[in-house]
Amino acid sequence: MQINVIIFGQIVDITGTSAIAVEDVTDTNQLVERLATAYPALKSAKYAIAVDKKIVKENTVLSNNNTIALLPPFSGG
Amino acid sequence: MADKKIKNIFMQGPIPAGFIADSIQKHSTKTDIGAHSIFLGQVRDDIIGDKKVAAIDYTTYEEMALEKMQEIREDMFSKYALTCMHVYHSLGKVAAGELSLFVFTSSKHRKMAIEACEETVERIKAELPVWGKELLEDESYQWKENK
Repeated sequence: MQINVIIFGQIVDITGTSAIAVEDVTDTNQLVERLATAYPALKSAKYAIAVDKKIVKENTVLSNNNTIALLPPFSGG
Repeated sequence: MADKKIKNIFMQGPIPAGFIADSIQKHSTKTDIGAHSIFLGQVRDDIIGDKKVAAIDYTTYEEMALEKMQEIREDMFSKYALTCMHVYHSLGKVAAGELSLFVFTSSKHRKMAIEACEETVERIKAELPVWGKELLEDESYQWKENK
């Protein structure tokens, strides 16, 4: 299963792109591990994961219909 | 919530002072209002190392931000007796000294307007997926983080 991830703010500085596709992940814990392998600098980066525009704090099962986003600390206003 | 129209709050570039004046003027027809409270966020020229912040470049996850703003708006209307509430946030480049956030709450009495305005600003800062990239004088940058 391919998961599409959209990326914002300073996390784009690490990934170099604002959209990536990750193969064969079934939940958010797995996704975090896979991303850290692909982009080691992410291990020390602060970010939250949103699944369908809601921030998830617990491990969450993913389907390829979900919209996954990596959100660094907010700094609006 | 799905049947409600989601309002856009984003504006490209700085929020002009004239826009704020017009917005105040438009409320003169709503004669049941007794108090307005307004918050304006202005870009500050912080010193980072030995360089000044020249501007902030704002980006957002728009779909999520608008949905979250709708939730904040509904919470404010159920918590406070508001007549109306308007929020505008800049996207793109806003120079030091220019305005990037405009929160405007109106009520019959001051207390409700003031408290709703303050709470809305705090929630925007904490909950809206918006990012500010501080552009320094020498064209380097750093990412802002809300305290």
